[in-house]
Amino acid sequence: MQWYEILIAVIAAAIVALPIILHFVNKKKGKHSCGCGCDCGCTECSSCEKCKHESDK
Amino acid sequence: MIKFALAGNPNCGKTTLFNTLTGSTAHVGNWPGVTVDKREGLYKKLAEKVQIVDLPGIYSLSPYTPEEVISRNFILDEKPECVINVVDATNLERNLYLTTQILEIDVPVIVALNMMDAVKANGDKIVIEELQKVLGVPVVGISALKREGTDELMQKAFELAQTKRNGTTILENTIVGPIIAKVKEALPQDLGSKLFHAIKLIEGDELEVKAHPEADKIATELKAQQPDDGFDGDYEAVVADRRYDYISVNFKKAIVKANKQGMTKSDKIDKVMTHRIWSIPLFLVIMFAVFHFVFSEDLLFMNAIFGLEIKSETAVNFFTGMGYEGEPLGGIPSLGVFLQSWMGFVFDQLGELFGLFMSTDTWYGALIIDGIIGGVGAVASFIPQILLLFLFISIMEDSGYMARVAFIMDRAFRKFGLSGKAFIPMLMGFGCSVPAMMAARTLEDTCERDRTIRLATCFSCGAKAPIWAMLAVVVGGFFGDIFVFTIYLLGIVIAIVSALIMKLFGKNHDVPPFIMELPAYHAPQFKNLMAHLWEKLKHYVVKAATIIAASTVVIWFLSNFGWAFWNGMVEIENSILADIGRGLSYIFYPLGWAMGADGWKYTVATLTGLIAKEDVVSTCELLGLASGAIGLSTAGIYAFAAYNLFTLPCMAAVATAKGESTKKGFWVTLAWWFASSYVISLIIYWVLELYSVAVWAGILVTLVLVAAIVASGIVLSRRIKKYSKE
Repeated sequence: MQWYEILIAVIAAAIVALPIILHFVNKKKGKHSCGCGCDCGCTECSSCEKCKHESDK
Repeated sequence: MIKFALAGNPNCGKTTLFNTLTGSTAHVGNWPGVTVDKREGLYKKLAEKVQIVDLPGIYSLSPYTPEEVISRNFILDEKPECVINVVDATNLERNLYLTTQILEIDVPVIVALNMMDAVKANGDKIVIEELQKVLGVPVVGISALKREGTDELMQKAFELAQTKRNGTTILENTIVGPIIAKVKEALPQDLGSKLFHAIKLIEGDELEVKAHPEADKIATELKAQQPDDGFDGDYEAVVADRRYDYISVNFKKAIVKANKQGMTKSDKIDKVMTHRIWSIPLFLVIMFAVFHFVFSEDLLFMNAIFGLEIKSETAVNFFTGMGYEGEPLGGIPSLGVFLQSWMGFVFDQLGELFGLFMSTDTWYGALIIDGIIGGVGAVASFIPQILLLFLFISIMEDSGYMARVAFIMDRAFRKFGLSGKAFIPMLMGFGCSVPAMMAARTLEDTCERDRTIRLATCFSCGAKAPIWAMLAVVVGGFFGDIFVFTIYLLGIVIAIVSALIMKLFGKNHDVPPFIMELPAYHAPQFKNLMAHLWEKLKHYVVKAATIIAASTVVIWFLSNFGWAFWNGMVEIENSILADIGRGLSYIFYPLGWAMGADGWKYTVATLTGLIAKEDVVSTCELLGLASGAIGLSTAGIYAFAAYNLFTLPCMAAVATAKGESTKKGFWVTLAWWFASSYVISLIIYWVLELYSVAVWAGILVTLVLVAAIVASGIVLSRRIKKYSKE
């Protein structure tokens, strides 16, 4: 296996892991990544409030 | 930090003011009920940062709806330094009803007379000084949309926030006045806003009665001693009557109406748009026009009617994103198709660029070119087309037409036992099922709320649009737009039929009243439209770069490797995904699209749609089904589309449904989504197949189905009538 093949494999694994990591990071921050418009990251709008509430449950 | 609350009637422009003050891009809808929860932002132009809280629109501070409870609790418990009461200046008398209640709370209040530009345009005049005198609090004329007067408003509110204010009431000199004084005395000494609590106790407010039973006893005794004044002891009605009396008598001087005769422009437009007979056909024509401009490959049917063909190679390449294949082009494609072709071309070029450095025969070349660029590109190429669709929907929303659609649909839905109030969350489902399900909390009845959540998926969300766009290409020619139009229409029809079935077998046959203000028509605001599109674009890009890219890599791996993956890549038919898909395809076999050699691929695509609906498209591309390679009959395409439309939505929407429904309701909802999508897909496939075998048999079955629906409607309508009588 060449070095670039290993690199591509690692990047591919990172791409797969990214949404899972983001899910937990966002959950901690109270962010959500659906289409509800609360992916603004403000944690202050109604949707984010709701999502924060959901993640607290 | 200082906290200001924005409170006012629904659709008076609170969220527009909130966005203007905080620079946010919160969704603004030109219909009531868009804000169902409070939202917060910062105003930074003053000496001190101010936290602005946008409260849901309410008509009163009585605890009848969740929005009213949220707003009331916030003002009473969180004690903002100032309440900015946003008032629609074009509807002053009705809006002031809430103002008279807010004034009863011990909190500094400032009245923001919004839409003053519209008042001026109507030729009317509001004497602000007079209004200030009657209300006893500062009043500032503003236009949140045009950012006029907002700085002055905030400056005054800031000054006001440094002061204290005790509640005042207009009921002092009425028959309720003496009772208020005595009930106030009976309330605990340390309780704030006693005046407000006392009046609510007299009204018989449930929350107050529970919280202050002793004071309630006194209020009940005092009310019993009063002579009956025609309201049969209903003090809630007495108080409301006195408020409206006061408003109509005292605020006359503040409003100078222009001597206009006849109808307003909005009234004239509404004569056509909300016409008893023509409104629904007109709505269908408008929707079809939208789909035609987004999905049609033959704009204005120029090929179908006039036989227009484009033969020039340069012109064909221009219209099809360098797609000249030696044949003339039948008609001019719509803007949506044009944009999609060029976006597809960009991703093709990107794939070719990578192809210069690596071969698709290697695993990494296949992963990057076929997997990531192909899969993500398949979804991304539809983004401009979908954005165009949302631009049209936003125009309808912002101009005030969508509010009329809810009104028109209420008339139709009521016959099937569904309130128009339930239709508003469903309309929001055209954007995303998540806010649609959240908006269902405006419904008081938990049963109705669960049902509305269940039906939210019938309204095709933005994530499903790429599926229709992909299938429209397969249907091809000038039928693409008709296909997408019929899918959206099918959603609405199934929502009505489902509502009918749920009502028929449910216990509750009460149809709650639906009161909605129709906003005046106005030209859509460019800034609002762009804000909507920006939110959508951001959402698509983030989703494509995360969830879709990740699932694409996983699906690529599963479709290119066997169970012994260490032995290297295998043919797709021998892959892990093929084995899983073949196993599961038996469940969907009766639905037609899961039959045949490619059946397992459609099964897998449907399942990946549970992660994110766009994944259906990327999976089809990865499995070699997209780009015109979908080998389904028309019946199969419709059945596949119907299944994906009505089945379980994406994970985010399922999680929202769980949070918004009752526990039992959620499990029923899950079962409903799976069962209804299965049955509808089954019926569509076999009825359409029947048409291809014998048209008469297809017509016969269709007639039987329609007759069954009509009969159910009649039975339900009788039950509703009986229930109403009881």
